Amino acid sequence: MLFRMIRGVLFHQKGKMLLIAFTIALGASLATGMLNVMLDVGDKVNKELKNYGANITVKPKDSSLMSEIYDVGDGAELNAAYLREDELGKLKTIFWAFNIVDFTPFLDTQVTLTNGDSVKMTGAWFNHHLDLPTGESLDAGIVGMRSWWDVTEGKWLDEKDENAISEIMVGAALAQQMGWKAGDTVHLIASQGDKDVQIAGIFDAGGDEDEQIYSVLDLVQALTDRENRVSSIEVSALTTPDNELARRAARNPAALSSRDYETWYCTAYVSAICYQIQEVITGSVASAVRQVAESEGTILDKTQLLMILITALSLIGSALGISNLVTASVMERSQEIGLLKAIGARDASITGVVMTEILITALVGFGVGYGMGFGFAQLIGRSVFGAAIEMNPNVIPIVAGLIFLVTMAGSMPAIRMVLRLRPAEVLHGGH
Amino acid sequence: MTKRRMFLRMITASLLRRRSRMLIALLSIGIGATILAGLVTIYVDVPRQMGAQFRSYGANMILQPTEAGALTEESLQDILSVFSPEELVGATPYRYVRLDMTSRQQSFNTAGTDFSQVVKTSPYFSVEGAYPASTREVLVGKEVAETIGVKPGSTMELTYQPSVSISNNPQDDRTPGAQLSGSAEGWSGGIVYVSAVLDDQAKIASIQIDAHSQTPEFGGRATEDEEFAAQFIGKALPLTLGQEVDALSGATVTSTAVVDALNNARKATPAALPHTLNFTVTGILTTGGKEEGFAFISLADMESLTGESKLDVAELSISANAEQLDTYVNEITEKNQGVAAKLAKRVAKSEAAVLSKLQALVFLVTAVVLLLTMICVSTTMMAVVSERRREIGLRKALGASDGSIRAEFLGEGMFLGGLGGIMGALLGFVFAQVVSVNVFGSSITFQPLLLPITVIVSMIIAAVSCLLPIKRAVAIDPALVLKGE
Repeated sequence: MLFRMIRGVLFHQKGKMLLIAFTIALGASLATGMLNVMLDVGDKVNKELKNYGANITVKPKDSSLMSEIYDVGDGAELNAAYLREDELGKLKTIFWAFNIVDFTPFLDTQVTLTNGDSVKMTGAWFNHHLDLPTGESLDAGIVGMRSWWDVTEGKWLDEKDENAISEIMVGAALAQQMGWKAGDTVHLIASQGDKDVQIAGIFDAGGDEDEQIYSVLDLVQALTDRENRVSSIEVSALTTPDNELARRAARNPAALSSRDYETWYCTAYVSAICYQIQEVITGSVASAVRQVAESEGTILDKTQLLMILITALSLIGSALGISNLVTASVMERSQEIGLLKAIGARDASITGVVMTEILITALVGFGVGYGMGFGFAQLIGRSVFGAAIEMNPNVIPIVAGLIFLVTMAGSMPAIRMVLRLRPAEVLHGGH
Repeated sequence: MTKRRMFLRMITASLLRRRSRMLIALLSIGIGATILAGLVTIYVDVPRQMGAQFRSYGANMILQPTEAGALTEESLQDILSVFSPEELVGATPYRYVRLDMTSRQQSFNTAGTDFSQVVKTSPYFSVEGAYPASTREVLVGKEVAETIGVKPGSTMELTYQPSVSISNNPQDDRTPGAQLSGSAEGWSGGIVYVSAVLDDQAKIASIQIDAHSQTPEFGGRATEDEEFAAQFIGKALPLTLGQEVDALSGATVTSTAVVDALNNARKATPAALPHTLNFTVTGILTTGGKEEGFAFISLADMESLTGESKLDVAELSISANAEQLDTYVNEITEKNQGVAAKLAKRVAKSEAAVLSKLQALVFLVTAVVLLLTMICVSTTMMAVVSERRREIGLRKALGASDGSIRAEFLGEGMFLGGLGGIMGALLGFVFAQVVSVNVFGSSITFQPLLLPITVIVSMIIAAVSCLLPIKRAVAIDPALVLKGE
């Protein structure tokens, strides 16, 4: 009998029930979409912030400061300390390897041009292909880490090109001063050799780099006889904004209690990642570039908080909307409920029938809504970040619970109110 | 007249008598309007608020004097007047000079700056201790501090050693190595001319005396006497006759004039001498960047050390979008001869890229939420109206025209829409304000235009969602509707 009644309502009052299911579906899709976007926005914005370049620099321990502060030029490179290029792959083996987005080594020297001028030349990876011991492979280098460079003439140097070793890129200011164009051939004299190289491209970096020459790392190593050596590494990593624990750990990890240490080591704080880099790169000091690391934290926090509040508003809105409609639909059926009561149905069974109907409708609405919400989340992800939003499985129970609570909260008081009315009044059409 | 009164009476009666249902409709419109007003306010204000957050990356514009020009604190203030106070987050002047710490035989780059501005343009600086608050205090970069071994509270002596290059310009007598020349009155009003060349220790390397105006047998001998001239070599100025140098016998007045001429020449070139000041370290700076290899002192101290008040560069942090920044760069470069403005490309370009993404995100989210909420509102309105089919049927049976029924229901719907819209616009602003204070820590700008827009949109949505169920109700035969089928 119960089933028959429910079926009767669901099929005979199709229009009304569809309207409720539709509204619940809208609410559910809003909740699903917003929650998924909110939970994934941190990762997505974090990737966008990689535009600002590296947030960690790695230098040799012993003389990490000498040449930078004291401008020691010639000869100093012979007894300076270095990192090893063959160890770079190890960066992708640390605990937070997955968070390391990009990295590139640097090695610089002074070269003399044919007119006698001395110019700084930096060797780096451009789009260096790396096969990792884990079986993965990636392209790392400054093409990704200098996103603000404009290549005004020619193109980015391509390491996959066979001639890459005899190509350079030249800063705009230097190119203008020397009257160089992309495609020109230039003779460079370095401390341990000289070479004719071709200009692949001219870049405008808006900084000191505009007066420098950039080439692949191998070329600088060969010209200065420093095989397998690099003077610094820049690392771009996805990090968690620092908190009090991270700040304490950054000062001295050894002073932490073992539990705090564990928490810190297993969280993607920039200090924890620096620490892990130092563990795998021999004789290195990794430090956070505060300008990038600190600002990333601020912006990430703010964006997430903003999204949480907007999500909260839309959740409250859809919750109120759904419960409103459910209340309206129950009250609309006051005549039917009055009739049931008049022919002797108990309050509990009436409540049971009406609730079951509404919950079945809600379930259908939730199913459709989750699908729509998935669509909305992907729409936002694709059009804003050009990447899919990861659907968090925790969202399903959250949204389902929310819809259940909201439907209950919308229908229960209404049913009770209608039941309290005298059947005669209701049937008569009064209030 | 009576018709209109009847119309009003019907609307108000229906609203008052069917309170609970109307409340539901009003609530749903109110929620929709709140979300509309709240999200649009946030959306309009987000670029400004987020832009301010992005200033934590530091300076996005740099002012430098051109080769012929000069930048001073006064000219900097002039240039800054093109910015409105809200846009200009901070402007930090810098003067870079290499200072020696003689006691440790070290030298490092030192910047003279204004610390009250550094806090604004470089909020990522992390200082262990405190920023210098007065003169004779120094902030030391971490790498420098480790090299020379200082802590907050230590004292250090910094020396300015003027550049040692020899200048061919006779006017340029401020640098040691260049010639000094001076004159003084000697015997009976004759003028003695002396010129000397300083070595890089600012000690006399060579000297030439012109005493032809003096009596040849006495003072005049100073021009030729090698022994007299030789005693000046290797001495630092100022000199006192009878102490560092002895007088030429029988020519005390002339000898005094020679020493005076040298001392006069030195006075004319005070910057040519090394200058030392004592500093107290107030803090150690950590940035993870090049700044760690610098020491920072106040501009006033830098001026006392070098005797010059020029600036090498000014870093500006401006809260504006990419096009506005470009406009400012052009304006400054055109208006101020001798100063070139440049964008810090890394900061400015990256900021534009990330900010546009964030704006797109908030835009899409706002659009999706608004669309869904509005549909939600109209379904509720539709439910409320379709419930009144019987009433419509009854009216029609009594002889009301379709038009008048439609007008009445629309009027009712729009009244609710208007009321809900006003409620929602105010609540929405409160919500936006709460978000802004919590997320950005600053209050939001009220958009006056949003109030009428919210009310009108709410009225339209209410009217449109009434129309469909009314149309259906009106189309049905009153007899059927009244029968309840």
